[in-house]
Amino acid sequence: MHAPIDLATNLKKQRRWGETLIQGLLFTFAALSILTTVGIVLVLLSQAWHFFARPEVSLLAFFTDSKWQPQIGRFGIFVLINATLLTSIIAMLVALPLGMMIAIYLSEYATPRVRSILKPVLEILAGIPTVVYGYFALTFMTPILQQLLGRDVVEVFNVASAGIVIGILILPLITSMAEDALSAVPYALREAAYGLGATRLETALKIVTPAAMSGLTAAFIVAISRAIGETMIVAIAAGAGPRNFNSWGEALHNLAMFNPFKAAETMTGHIVRISGGDISYESIDYDSLFAIGLTLFIITFVLNLLSRRIVRRFREVY
Amino acid sequence: MNNNYPEGAQLQQFLKRRRQKGILWRSLFLLATTLGVLVLMVLLLTIINDSFGYVAIQYKIEPETLLLQHHKNRVLEAPLTETSEDDDYLATRIGAQEHAVGFFSMAYYQAHADALRPLSIEGIAPTADAIASGEYLLSRPLFLVTTVEALQQRGPTAFFTGYYLDQVNQLVEALGYVRAPDQALRQSMEDWQRSTGLTPDTVRENLQLRPSDSLTMVGSSTLMPLTQAMVKRLRQDGVSLPISVTDGGTATGLQALCEGAADIALASRPLQWEELQSCQRNHLTPIAFRIATDGIVVVVNQNNGWVDDLTKAEVQLLFTDARHWSDVRPTWPSQPVSRWVPGPDSGTLDVFVTRVFGDDLQAQPQETLIALLETHVSKGVLRRFEKEQPLNTRSHEELYQLVVERVLKPTILETWSLYDSIVHREQIDAFLAQAPQAELEFRRWVTWDFITSPQSSRPEFAGVRTAILGSLWVVLITLLFSVPVGVGAAIYLEEYGSGNWLDQLIENNINNLAGVPSIIYGMLGLAVFVRALEPLTSGALFGLTDPTTANGRTILAAGLTLGLLILPIIIINAREAIRAVPRAFREASYALGATKWQTIWYHVLPNAIPGILTGSILAISRAFGETAPLVVIGASTAIFVDPSGPFSKFTTLPIQIYQWTARPQAAFQNLAAAAIIVLLVLLLALNAAAVLLRNKYQRSY
Repeated sequence: MHAPIDLATNLKKQRRWGETLIQGLLFTFAALSILTTVGIVLVLLSQAWHFFARPEVSLLAFFTDSKWQPQIGRFGIFVLINATLLTSIIAMLVALPLGMMIAIYLSEYATPRVRSILKPVLEILAGIPTVVYGYFALTFMTPILQQLLGRDVVEVFNVASAGIVIGILILPLITSMAEDALSAVPYALREAAYGLGATRLETALKIVTPAAMSGLTAAFIVAISRAIGETMIVAIAAGAGPRNFNSWGEALHNLAMFNPFKAAETMTGHIVRISGGDISYESIDYDSLFAIGLTLFIITFVLNLLSRRIVRRFREVY
Repeated sequence: MNNNYPEGAQLQQFLKRRRQKGILWRSLFLLATTLGVLVLMVLLLTIINDSFGYVAIQYKIEPETLLLQHHKNRVLEAPLTETSEDDDYLATRIGAQEHAVGFFSMAYYQAHADALRPLSIEGIAPTADAIASGEYLLSRPLFLVTTVEALQQRGPTAFFTGYYLDQVNQLVEALGYVRAPDQALRQSMEDWQRSTGLTPDTVRENLQLRPSDSLTMVGSSTLMPLTQAMVKRLRQDGVSLPISVTDGGTATGLQALCEGAADIALASRPLQWEELQSCQRNHLTPIAFRIATDGIVVVVNQNNGWVDDLTKAEVQLLFTDARHWSDVRPTWPSQPVSRWVPGPDSGTLDVFVTRVFGDDLQAQPQETLIALLETHVSKGVLRRFEKEQPLNTRSHEELYQLVVERVLKPTILETWSLYDSIVHREQIDAFLAQAPQAELEFRRWVTWDFITSPQSSRPEFAGVRTAILGSLWVVLITLLFSVPVGVGAAIYLEEYGSGNWLDQLIENNINNLAGVPSIIYGMLGLAVFVRALEPLTSGALFGLTDPTTANGRTILAAGLTLGLLILPIIIINAREAIRAVPRAFREASYALGATKWQTIWYHVLPNAIPGILTGSILAISRAFGETAPLVVIGASTAIFVDPSGPFSKFTTLPIQIYQWTARPQAAFQNLAAAAIIVLLVLLLALNAAAVLLRNKYQRSY
């Protein structure tokens, strides 16, 4: 028989070093994420600072020059941004209508059996690595485009096939996020619409979709952000050199800078190509990569903030 | 009052239009969905299309030529061997020596039948029937070879070949030859008629013999008796065309024909590729007419009483390594063997060697394969092979592969996808027509060899072993780093978090990080892990640097970078899993007096593990497929040794796919497709494991 426990002992005062230690450890793990963000910002800023601090680089020229050609000291980032925007817009043109239609079908029309087939298919599409999509763009999409529009119109490396395949890449993303948003709308709203005599189409387009608008906008912005950050597809299929112009006049002549069927390197494609080769750590090429990276980071960061703000602002509380 | 609301017929119209619109849009939605599914199928089909197909391969040396050269040399350089292009000489010499053995055409045997004795091979004697039917091992066709261009001129060449074809069957048997099969002779006749545009009856009238015309024939000594008899018959028929017949061997004859030095070549074997090419180079099209069949007899002196029949293996031994008759069969006398064989230009020798030693490289015994390697591969490389594993302990399959890789040196000229291979055969045929030395092979690009071979710069031998191992190592490091840290962070946020500003910040942060493009993580990894933490990642801190790399572009750096990349995903996932554990569990645990950590460790975590596991596996499969960050960190482009640890250089499967896709040669596209299949199978396995786990442990509370 044990001696009875002295209930006067204040168990609460008993120090448990183990608990505090573990709590501290877990806190550092969580704080590591902050460290990551800090790290990203620091690294990008400091190397970009190195870049802009060089005498041959001017901030104004960085944004207004019409060429990105490090060999001759021209660092106009807009040609790269232009290519990125072109691919992303083409991607959204493909993915947004398609994704929305599939999402509406899944949430409003599809039977549970169809859903059980389609959702795994979309998951599979979402799980395919981007190199595979890049391969697909080069070996399937480009020849098809060349057959449809002629070899002299469509170059072997072109923005259009990369854009279309990026669209296919983000399709599952848009579909699943949109479908989640549409499904979150309470059924009561639909029933009210049916009660007033609306058809299924009218309910879907005029009642449910506006109600889910915040989620849909979030989906839209997340998808664009993904398209902008996409690397491998453009690296393989879009071209290995920026679409440079000697002047803005030449760029706008015949809308040459917007031609989707010629090659153009995007921001991400450029970073991958340059860093995949031999590059010395102190060279201007190395620093310029971080300047591009900083621009990319800022764009996606802003988009991310925007999407969360919109979601918070327009979220309907049911 | 009812202005806005349609009535009656208008109402019906309105309803009909609404219904039609509904149907239209519904089909549109359905179309979009089918398009989505279609895209996936097209994607998979494209990859499969590129991983099977025909391949045009060109060998540096054809396997048959390689073997022929090899065994010919063995026979010619065997001890106590004399050679001559004159079969008559050989026959005479064998007839004069009791311990001699040799081989030559049946026709020569007839002339010296009293001094010689023929042997059976594999139990079959060289009778006329056995030779004609092909049962006898060493029966071979005899040809007259000339050029289509010469025939079209309808000069002496056309005349003589036509005459030969017409009259040959009347001479063969008497001279000891065997008739050509009737079908073959008829075919030769038809070919001749088509090339000259004449028939045998009209040939005399159309013959335009000028005084300066002559006919030169060079070639196999086997055909000498027959040809000389034919010339004599021609003279008896009253044609006084000057004809010169020289022996010197089939090879000499064909070479002279293709260089224009001879009008007709006498051949005791079919043309070889090199001879065909040499003719084509001089814009001549050779054409061969089968005129007779001949048997090569292995003869011994008539006083040789101990041998009657030889097996193929005994023939091989007798003409190469045996120094004494007793080396072949112990019961035979131990006298030295004296060999008399045709010379290196002789077609007889070629046929003998091919039939006796075989021309299928894969069927050759190990000693032959090793001998081929020793002859054709440089000393340094041989030494390296010996050091890795001695040649005579390697398996037959291994040796064959080595010979193919190092001696035959195949080069892929062109590849075709599965669709092209089946539907567009004419493209393939057109390519083969302008590259006749190429061989066509149907290839499945995903093979076990492909998975286990290391990287190589030549598409014929490239494999993904280095890449798979690199991927596995990197993912291991990623796992070891990100899962504990991610789960720990999730536990903190869910269990210990107090919702204050710091925790909110961390939460926002994680959501932000999930949306950062992966290439930015690559740049972070480059600056921090590869450069700043170089002593750590290169292993210098531990004194374990990989000898081939002295910088931080190692598996460790790659694993840490990918770990950071998937950390937000793991945290978000783990939080969901932990949140899903009902509060009741925790409350019951506290009620029994457990501390916070005890509650977490013994109650919350075990119930959350299935969800955490599923999420982690999905995150890992995402990391498996990541390419851009690793390229930025500095995956090696040319790496041929397997990674040996966390401090080695690395390449991964997706990077390998990227590099192969970027190369222009067609073969690399096929390799990339095969590698994609391997990658997708691995990912499928991972995802299937995740789904199985999820289904198994799914419990609703």
